[in-house]
Amino acid sequence: MVLQQIINGLASGGIYTLVALGLTLVYGVLKILHIAHAGIYALGAYMALVAYKIYPNIYFAFLFAMATTAVAGYLVQKYLYWPIIDQPRIVPLIASIGLFLALEELYRLIWGPYVIPFPQKFHWKTYTLGNIRLPGADLFVFALSIVFLAILYWIVNKTKVGLAMRAVADDKEVSEASGINSKWTIALSFIIGSALAGAAGLMVGVYYNSIYPTMGDVPAYKSLAVIVVGGMGSIEGTVVAGFGLGLLEALLLGFLPFAFPRDALAFIAMIIFLLIKPEGLFGE
Amino acid sequence: MNYYLTILIYIGINSILALSLNIIVGYAGQISLGHAAFYGIGAYSSALIATKLGVSFWVSLPLAIIITAVVGAILGLPSLRVSEDFLAITTIGINFVVQAVFKYVKFFGGALGVSGIPFPSIGGHRFSLAAFALMTAIFTVISAVVAHLINTSWIGLGLKAVREDELAASSSGVNVYKFKVLAFVLGSALAGLAGSLYAHFMMFITADDFGFPLSIAILSMIVIGGIGTVRGAFLGALLLTIMPELFRPLSDYRMLVYAILLILFMRFLPEGLIGDESIVWKKIRGKA
Amino acid sequence: MKKVVALALVVSLTAGFGWAKPQKAKLKGVKLKGVIKIGFFSPLTGFAAADGLSALRGARLAVEQINKNGGLLGKKVVLVNYDDRVKSSEAVAIARKLVTKDRVIAAVSGSYSGPTRAAAPIFQQFKVPMISAYAVHPEITKAGDYIFRNGFLGTVEGKAMGEVALKFLRAKRIALLVIDNDYGHSLAEGVKMRIRQLGGAKIVYEKTYSIGEKDFTPLLTAARAQKPDLLIATAYYNEAAQIARQVKQMGWKIQILGEEGYDSPKFLELAGDAAEGVIITTNLNRDDLSSITQNFIKNFKTKYNEDPDMVGASSYDAVMLLAKAIKKAHSTNPARIRDALQSLQNEVLATGVLYRFTRGREVVKPVQVQIVKNGEFHYYGIIADPDVVTPPW
Repeated sequence: MVLQQIINGLASGGIYTLVALGLTLVYGVLKILHIAHAGIYALGAYMALVAYKIYPNIYFAFLFAMATTAVAGYLVQKYLYWPIIDQPRIVPLIASIGLFLALEELYRLIWGPYVIPFPQKFHWKTYTLGNIRLPGADLFVFALSIVFLAILYWIVNKTKVGLAMRAVADDKEVSEASGINSKWTIALSFIIGSALAGAAGLMVGVYYNSIYPTMGDVPAYKSLAVIVVGGMGSIEGTVVAGFGLGLLEALLLGFLPFAFPRDALAFIAMIIFLLIKPEGLFGE
Repeated sequence: MNYYLTILIYIGINSILALSLNIIVGYAGQISLGHAAFYGIGAYSSALIATKLGVSFWVSLPLAIIITAVVGAILGLPSLRVSEDFLAITTIGINFVVQAVFKYVKFFGGALGVSGIPFPSIGGHRFSLAAFALMTAIFTVISAVVAHLINTSWIGLGLKAVREDELAASSSGVNVYKFKVLAFVLGSALAGLAGSLYAHFMMFITADDFGFPLSIAILSMIVIGGIGTVRGAFLGALLLTIMPELFRPLSDYRMLVYAILLILFMRFLPEGLIGDESIVWKKIRGKA
Repeated sequence: MKKVVALALVVSLTAGFGWAKPQKAKLKGVKLKGVIKIGFFSPLTGFAAADGLSALRGARLAVEQINKNGGLLGKKVVLVNYDDRVKSSEAVAIARKLVTKDRVIAAVSGSYSGPTRAAAPIFQQFKVPMISAYAVHPEITKAGDYIFRNGFLGTVEGKAMGEVALKFLRAKRIALLVIDNDYGHSLAEGVKMRIRQLGGAKIVYEKTYSIGEKDFTPLLTAARAQKPDLLIATAYYNEAAQIARQVKQMGWKIQILGEEGYDSPKFLELAGDAAEGVIITTNLNRDDLSSITQNFIKNFKTKYNEDPDMVGASSYDAVMLLAKAIKKAHSTNPARIRDALQSLQNEVLATGVLYRFTRGREVVKPVQVQIVKNGEFHYYGIIADPDVVTPPW
């Protein structure tokens, strides 16, 4: 049964990782806790609804969702964060929370408070490997997460853009001195992170067949815990922490004899972790 | 009349909450995004002491304040180990964990919450609504005075030093740890007072009353009003308490308006309406 | 530039206050002749907005029909409603407002347990009859003799579920999933109570989960390992849909038994064909031949373009109950309305027949059992055994 629970945890782990990655990318370069990121994640799911009205196809929906969220991310950093970048930390933080709330309300006002099913029905098969059941939906989510992670890895480690992102995350002034356009690099981090979030939102919409205004709430809190445990700004840390959280939840929920609120679990794990290693797994 | 008194009581309680958070965030500069947890601890302590021990409000109130202060000290310890952004997230985590404890541990009433909390009474006579409002007003004034005294005393100086530059402060011999914890203790104590008032007014509390959205609301109060100032805390509490009531006709758009206001304020007026650096305040002062 | 915006903000804020005021003046406690005001509150924003909206719709439909049929005591009925955002403190302010400013003669709560429980003592204090449409917190009716509850008590419905499990489905090994609020806990209590009373079955797996949970596979996997022959999952329609889907995705062929939380077209929509065969206890019987039920379903669908759910039906009936009481009392005197409510018997409602209210002002009503067939809810059975459906107080 343990193995089965591990399989269960990999899919949710994949989603946590994808969402948290955007947060990490942004934090890395701007040092801002971009809580509104979860609102962009939800936007991805809602954009699927729009996409299907234009052309009912899942691939198109993905592209559409990721494009729109990428643009949204760009706009957010340009018009909201940049102007207040020099203010005390608390200011962009509250602005981000305000934006998150505003997005949720907009979704509710435009599409209604009800949970909307994903516009396409998928019929997942369950595959069996010996004693283990592999639900098709989980495989889909997991596989897609790995694909996106691979692409991200390539961008960050094998391209000039990625190099610039890492440099700016490390030290903004020095990078600028070396000729890196930090403004553009930051914008790019947002664009990539937001696109990832949009993809994650759409995937969740498919997996749970649910799209609703407050769907960003739980990812918002959990991503925070994930990036803290991973080490703020560390991509490797986020990946490990994201999957780790998914696995931990599945195992604990499956085996703990008493009831436990899943959300608090993420934070308890985080707090325990902070007591041992305050910089996080891969942080400095 | 009844309805207005209720709103006044809410304004009073929220003012005390805003003042209490101000000590931690405004004076000591520690980002605390989980203040609703302390509010909840104060409320639950007071409620449980009153219902399980059968004592009156006058006994449970001071006890609640003390308990909350102690818990505040303990929960404030993480602030010593972690830096700003970590602290922000840790305090959110504390909020969630405390709320989960209230919800899941049977002793705290679990999902059913705590009911039958006694309204304050003197000599067997239950307070009227007006009396409660008056009492709240008195406590509010006391809290403001306490906050002001803290700010203008040696404690305030120490907190300010920590806020402005920790490194410089510790090199000048300021015990940064002591002041950080002190900020949490004082802030929680006042939050405990607010919590107790809330519990005995509502006569029924559940874990849902003390979640993260409330922490954000309290933070918004002091930021919109003007962080680090007593007058700012009052104005923020007043505005944010009245807004839901005033905007009822707009009811469907209430939350959106609130959220947009938050964004606009942070974007254009982050010093708050009447904070020390605020343009509005400077203008008022300039004219006066 | 910054200065201008700052000033503009301040000005608009003050203007906003000024503008909002005249609206208030209109609703001020002026006793309008020829109108009967009924108060209503439910969450219209926030995570519970979907239910709040359904509840409001049900209430509004009832008011519309009452007025179409000549109003009450010759006067038009007006529904005064507010959004409580599922916050106890808002519900308290709303209750005071409804009672002292809007001067409603009675009220219905279309909200969840927390806000209803907080507001009840206020209605009681001011002696304004209030009916809780569907909130289950046991303490609500204990607030006093002016507070009634239209929906089933969690323990009553739980007992009905136990009845269905053992007598209809002949289950022997039961896996129990409990949603982590007062509703879930009281349902679980009722289920276990009935199982003990009837004997012959045992709970082989029991776990509480958080409301809003979306991923049940860890729990379902662990439950499956205990080889149950029935899965009782207390939930609201969102969680229920996920549970049904994930059970299907896991390839697990087990009977699922739910309750009125499932009772919404949303459950059918979100669960898709995974909903097929799911059995629930509820109050709305779609196949009820009664014209009242059928008309309600038809009119709701026509007016709102959506099928009604349990929350909408309960709110509709709560308002109708008030109307019946007011008619019976022939007066708007609150004490008379209260007495009339208490004395109602064998009233035919959209949600079935109300036998009577107990002394504790809880309903004694048969519990409907519905099954999902071909993507729709249909009659499966009915539980009228007084042993089961009579509330403990």
